[in-house]
Amino acid sequence: MRFIFKTDYEDDIRLLPHSGYIWTYGTLLVLLALAPFMFSSYIMSQIVFVCIYATVGVGLLILSGFTGQASLGHAAFLAIGAYTAGYLQQYDVPFPVYFLGAGLLTGAVGALVGFPALRLQGIYLVIATISFAFIVEEILARWESVTHGNEGMRVKTLSLFGAAIPRDSASFYYLCLGFLILIIVGTLNLMRSPTGRAFIAIRDSETAARSMGVNVALYKVKAFAISAAITGFAGVLFAHKMTFISPEMFTLQLSIEFIIVILIGGTFSLHGAVLGAIFLVMIDPFLTYLKDDMPGIIAGVAATFGASKATASNIQSNVAAFASANGLKGAIYGVIIMVFVLFEPLGLYGRWLKIKLFFQLFPLYKRATFKRQKIYVKSERNR
Amino acid sequence: MSKSFRALGLAVGALALTHLPAAAQTKVTNQGISADEIVIGTHQDLSGPIKFWGVPVSNGMKMAVEEINAAGGIHGRKIKLVIEDSGYDPKRAVLASQKMVERDKVFAMVGPMGSPTVLASQDVLFDAGVLQLFPLTAAEFTYKFDPAKPQERLKFSNILPYVESTRAGLKYMMELKGFKKPCIMYQDDEYGKNVFDGFNQQLEVMKVPAASVTTFKRGASDFSAQIAKMKSDGCDLVLLGAVIREPIGAMTEAKKLGWDVTFLGATPVNVLEVPALGKEAVEGLYSISGFEIPYEDTAKGKVKEWLTNYKKMFDSPANTQAIIGYNAVQTFAFYVEKAGKDLTGQKLLDALESGAEFRDIFNSPPTKFSKTNHLATTITQVQQVKNGRWVLIKDGLIF
Repeated sequence: MRFIFKTDYEDDIRLLPHSGYIWTYGTLLVLLALAPFMFSSYIMSQIVFVCIYATVGVGLLILSGFTGQASLGHAAFLAIGAYTAGYLQQYDVPFPVYFLGAGLLTGAVGALVGFPALRLQGIYLVIATISFAFIVEEILARWESVTHGNEGMRVKTLSLFGAAIPRDSASFYYLCLGFLILIIVGTLNLMRSPTGRAFIAIRDSETAARSMGVNVALYKVKAFAISAAITGFAGVLFAHKMTFISPEMFTLQLSIEFIIVILIGGTFSLHGAVLGAIFLVMIDPFLTYLKDDMPGIIAGVAATFGASKATASNIQSNVAAFASANGLKGAIYGVIIMVFVLFEPLGLYGRWLKIKLFFQLFPLYKRATFKRQKIYVKSERNR
Repeated sequence: MSKSFRALGLAVGALALTHLPAAAQTKVTNQGISADEIVIGTHQDLSGPIKFWGVPVSNGMKMAVEEINAAGGIHGRKIKLVIEDSGYDPKRAVLASQKMVERDKVFAMVGPMGSPTVLASQDVLFDAGVLQLFPLTAAEFTYKFDPAKPQERLKFSNILPYVESTRAGLKYMMELKGFKKPCIMYQDDEYGKNVFDGFNQQLEVMKVPAASVTTFKRGASDFSAQIAKMKSDGCDLVLLGAVIREPIGAMTEAKKLGWDVTFLGATPVNVLEVPALGKEAVEGLYSISGFEIPYEDTAKGKVKEWLTNYKKMFDSPANTQAIIGYNAVQTFAFYVEKAGKDLTGQKLLDALESGAEFRDIFNSPPTKFSKTNHLATTITQVQQVKNGRWVLIKDGLIF
C-alpha cells in the first residue's frame, strides 16, 4: 500500500499523483497507439465508436455527473454538431474550421438551453431537455434547404490539409483518440479549477454554493455550454464515421444510450465515461461473438467430458438455436443494466476501485468501506 | 507508424484516382466462395422499431436458403446465410457489416434492411468489393449510381421504388374515376417524403392542384384532425403514405364522420396485416402494390406448397415481407446460377448486368438489370380490399 505524503497545494491537485500513474497510463497509451497494427478494422471500428461515445460521455459527465443537471437532450447536441459539419462541408470549408465551428455553435445552443433550465430541477429539467431534443429533431426534418429533411445527408470523406482520412483508416482512429485524450485532460484541468469546483458545489447543494458566493446561474449555463460544445465536437466525428446522417438517427434512444454510458461507467469519475462507452459499444459485438462461437465451444467442452458425438452436436445446435433467438440480446442488455443500477450504483469504475482496494488491503479489506453513509437523505436537504 | 502512413498514402492515391475519368475498373471480391459453399450476409431489424418487417423477411430468406440447399445448392455449392440484428441502429449496422465482411467473409450482402442502416454501412461493402443486392428500402440510393465511381456499380435493387409506384398508381386511379380533388396524408419521414414527391410530380404532369396536404408522426394513432381538414377541403381521393395502423385509423375516423371518400395506400399498405386488423373499417381501400399476395385457400401449385411450407417452418402464416425476403435470396441464386460453375465476383456482376430475366413463383413482374440500370422494375399494380382480402384491380401500370 502506497501512502502519498502531501506537503503543499500542488501535491493536492496534481494530475498524476505518483509514478505508478505514469507507468499504467503510459502503457495504456502505447497499447492504444499500437492498436491499429494489432486489430482488424472491425475491432478498430468499435474502438473508434468507443472514442466518440466516450467523448460525449465526458461532456455529459460535466453536466450530469459534476454539476448535477440531468439531460436527455444530448442526442440533439450531437445532431447539431454533425449537421453543422455536413452543411459547411458542402461549401468546401476546411475541416479545422467546421470542426471548431460545430463545437462553438453547439456550445452557444447549449448555453441557450441552459437559461430556461435555470429554473428547473430534477425530473422537470429532464422533461425540458427531452422537449429540446424533439424540437431539434423536428427542425432537422423540416429545414430541408439546409438539412435535406428526412432524406438525410451524405457526409464526404474527411480531408485534412489536403489528405483524405477515410473513416476506417488508422489516421481517423488517431484523430478520434487524440481528441478524446485532449478532452479528458482538458476536463481534468477544468475540474481542478475554480469553475470545476463551483460545478461540484452546485451539485452537492445549491444553497450552500450560493452562500459561498458561487454565481449558480452563471455556472449552470457554463456547464451546459461546455457539455454541449464537447458533444458538438463529437458530433462532427460521428458524422464522418457514419458517412450519412438523418434526423431519425438522433432520437431519444440515442440520448438514453448516452445516459447509460455514464450510469454503467460510473457518474463520479471520468473513467466512467470511457468504461461505459466500452460497455455500450462492445456489448453487442461481444454477444454476437458468443452467438457465433459459444455453441461450438460448449459442445467441445461437453465432448471432453465424455459426451458422445451425437450428444455434443445436439448440444451445439440447441445452444445455437437459443443464442440466435430474436431479442435475446435486448434481454441480456436490460438485465445487465438493472443489475448495475441495483447492485453497483458506482458503476464499472466503482467496481474497479473496490477490486483494487481489495488487493491493496488484502487481507484486511472491509466491505463497509464503500457503504453509503446516510447522514442525511437528499430530499431533506434545503436546495 | 509505417502502416498508417501507407494507409494515408493509399487514401491519397485513391482520392487521386477518383478524379480520373471513369476508366477505373470495379473491384469485386471473390471471398466467401469455396468448392462447396457460398457465404452471404444480411442485417435485419430483429429487435427494433421495424421488426415486423425484419423477422418475416429473415424467415423468408432462411426458407429460400433451405430450399436451395435441399436441392443440392447452386452448381454444387450450398448457401450459408449469416443474419445479424441491427435493431434499425445505423451504428450497429456498420459494425455488423464490418463483422460479416471481415470475420464471416461474406461474398454478397443480400436484402439488408432499412434506409439509414443500409446507407451508413454501404461503403464498408463497396470498399471491400462486396455486392449490395436487393436491400429492403425503396430509396433511390439503392440503385442510382454514379458511373464515375466504379464501386457504386455493386448495388442492385429489386424493390418497387416509392416515387415511381406512387405516380403510376395515382395516375391510374385519377383516370379511372375522374377524381378532381386529390389529397395526401403522409408519414413524416423519408418514406412519407418519397410518396409525397411522387404525388406532387404526378399532379404537376396532370395539371391538377393538390386539394389538401396533411402529415402525421410515425406511431401516431389519432387522425381526427387530418381527416377533418381533408373533409373540409373537399377531397375526393386520399393518398396514404402510411404503413399498417394509420390506414385503419384514418378510415375508421372517416367512417365515424360519415365521409364517403376513396382511400389509396402506397406500397407498404399492401400487406396482409391491414385487412386482418382493420376488418370492415378498411373495406374498399385501394393500394398500390408490386405483386399479388397469395392466400392459402385460393393459391395453386407451387405457391400453395410454399405457403404450407412456410407455415410449417415458422408456425405463422406467410406475408408480403416473407415473400420479399424469399425472393431476395432466390433472385441472388438465379444470377449465381447464370454466372456459371467457376463463380467469381466479376462473373456474378456480369450475369446481373446481362439482362437475363428472373421470374419468381408469385407472378411478380420480371426482374432485369442492365449495365446502366440497376433497378429491377417499375411496373406497378393496384389492388383493393374486398371482403377482407386484397384483390387485384389492374396490373402492368407505368406512369
